[in-house]
Amino acid sequence: MKLFRMFSAGASGRHPVLTRPRQQVFLAQKISRRYCLAAVTLFAIQSVVALAGALDLVIPDLPSPIPFEFGRAIHLGFAVLWPLIGTMGMVYYFTAAELNREIFSPRLARWQFGVVLVFALSVYVTLSLRIGNGREYLEGMPALYLGIGLALLLAAYNLVRTLWADKHHITPAAAIMTVGILFLLILLLPNVLHYDNPTLDEAAKFWVVHLWEEMAFELTTAGFIATFFIVAGLAVREKVEKWLYLEAGLAVTGGLYSTGHHYFWIGVPSLWLVLGALISLLEVVPVVMLVQMTYVGLKSSKANNTTGIKSKREKLTLWLILSSLLYHVTGASVFGLMITVPWVNLYVHGTYTTSAHAHLALFGSMGFLVLAGCYYVLSRGSEPTQAGYKAGVLAVLLLNIGLIGMGTALLVAGFLQTYLWRVLGRDFMQVSLLLTPYLLARVLAGGMFALGDFLLIWQIYAAWWRTRKNPS
Amino acid sequence: MPIGGKNYVRIIPLVIPAIGSGGTLKLRSFLILSAFSLVLFVAVTLLSAHSPVPISLQAAAGKRVWQRHNCVSCHTLFGNGGYVGEDLTNIVTKVNPPQLVQYLVQPPVMRPNRYRHHPALNRTEAENVVSYLEYVHTIPTLGWPPQPEKAGDEP
Ligand code: HEM
Ligand code: HEM
Repeated sequence: MKLFRMFSAGASGRHPVLTRPRQQVFLAQKISRRYCLAAVTLFAIQSVVALAGALDLVIPDLPSPIPFEFGRAIHLGFAVLWPLIGTMGMVYYFTAAELNREIFSPRLARWQFGVVLVFALSVYVTLSLRIGNGREYLEGMPALYLGIGLALLLAAYNLVRTLWADKHHITPAAAIMTVGILFLLILLLPNVLHYDNPTLDEAAKFWVVHLWEEMAFELTTAGFIATFFIVAGLAVREKVEKWLYLEAGLAVTGGLYSTGHHYFWIGVPSLWLVLGALISLLEVVPVVMLVQMTYVGLKSSKANNTTGIKSKREKLTLWLILSSLLYHVTGASVFGLMITVPWVNLYVHGTYTTSAHAHLALFGSMGFLVLAGCYYVLSRGSEPTQAGYKAGVLAVLLLNIGLIGMGTALLVAGFLQTYLWRVLGRDFMQVSLLLTPYLLARVLAGGMFALGDFLLIWQIYAAWWRTRKNPS
Repeated sequence: MPIGGKNYVRIIPLVIPAIGSGGTLKLRSFLILSAFSLVLFVAVTLLSAHSPVPISLQAAAGKRVWQRHNCVSCHTLFGNGGYVGEDLTNIVTKVNPPQLVQYLVQPPVMRPNRYRHHPALNRTEAENVVSYLEYVHTIPTLGWPPQPEKAGDEP
């Protein structure tokens, strides 16, 4: 407690900031830039690692300093941690914007950044040295996830204190982002333990793999989207706020019990087949609400030229958000629901079909959104040039084409695997050899994706560079 | 619902002082709903993950070997993991345990590579990990993996 008081001593949590005018840049928003910069950088590196891994699957005897099993682990470490770091930055940025005041302790937020970066990098370094803990998605040593947990604890404390400072003016968006961070923390902690019981081990792992992605991050990104839509004039605050807690409540209950669709075959009672299948339907409702809100917003902004989006910066952000919505609907919801049907899941489970869904949903809906947030945060105070904007749009296009290409290739591979191996019962290795052309197509599409990745990151860096002195 | 009922009572005193009064009623219901759902969810998960047969010491040691060597990157257990190698949930019914140990101690070249071998383990590690795979096989998985159609069933 003393330690926290020390951190907050210099913080201006309460009175004077409340009276400052709008459009002010808060320290929290400057600090959030580091998080976003780190996140997009890790995303760029992820593509390189991923391409190497994908090549390894199609070129026999490919020499590599890191064996495939640890390379894949690093790829998954990226997939989990860069969206987390970006989210931390976005939550600070948009919480300050929503409440129109400084966060409780900017100093704590700076320390938190150091902590999360050090531990995330440690995960990648130790895995490169072939030191790990072999739980899929959380392959790093458990102590390192304790470090990530510490960063989340700092974030949660800082945010709760921020809201607490003025309890009567908590906006729904700020509140659900804070609850999202709390959930990230609570769900990660059981994963620093060791479990001898493999069923419990799998279950706890899905509290991160499923509940981070489909529940906690849904809360933080819903807060971001709401704020963005209000600021960009795509939605009216009263209307958004009316629905936000309901949407969040559905995301939480739906998210929690639909974890059942990952429990199906890990050794739990059949209750979970029913629960997982039925509650997964509920998971789709918040997505429908989000799409509806966007549709209405875009339609009214088209109809009314004075409120429509004018700034190129907001337009590029919107392209990224719209991409995310596309995969929210397709790769996550429709495809997700199809493979949730227990009779379907029985056959497709554990084939490349899962990998197709994983890429389309995880990058498609979460990745695009975190990129949207990070771009918005890092470009504050500067408009892209015409050429920069065009390059940005091209990057978004390349990412989309690459992702759809990868998804389709994996889907075909998964379908073949399901039919030949699971349905007809042919030998696993024989079927695997037949998949090479599709895995090759995945590499090509992955290359396209990586190009889009680098181009976008280039634009984001440029925006960061232009605004580094004075992001106002 | 005895679990739910009890937990609910325990949550209320935690949640109520945590929120200010007035104006934030919807936030409060959201928080109560979230906390209640989470506790109930965790409780039901813990109850249903309870395993009928306790794991032996050797199998538990084997699980650590499995994790240390990151086997899950290439193989699935219960269908969760990588897709390079075959699912190993029921591998002990296809290959007998001494053969499995032998495979891991003196690993062969992996098709379609011409030089790259399967990662190797020492004998103790191999015996432990095979004991773990024997244990995994005993866990009831609600009928997964599916039984393939037999040849001849096809029209
Ligand atoms: C250049 C782009 C990418 C390529 C070539 C690529 C390639 C791969 C490869 C080779 C694997 C392991 C084998 C497999 O499961 O198919 C994999 C797994 C995975 N990747 Fe990627 N990846 C890319 C981008 C991404 C991104 C951006 C994300 C998320 C942010 C992501 C998330 C995942 C996940 C979650 C898995 C595990 C899938 C599962 O277990 O079913 N990947 N990827
Ligand atoms: C933002 C939304 C989503 C994300 C980020 C996401 C991500 C993922 C990931 C990474 C996996 C792979 C897990 C593994 O390797 O074991 C997965 C599997 C799965 N997801 Fe999603 N998902 C999303 C939405 C949904 C929705 C809405 C549904 C259904 C309503 C769904 C149903 C499933 C099912 C059934 C599996 C297991 C596939 C198997 O049996 O192997 N997902 N998801």
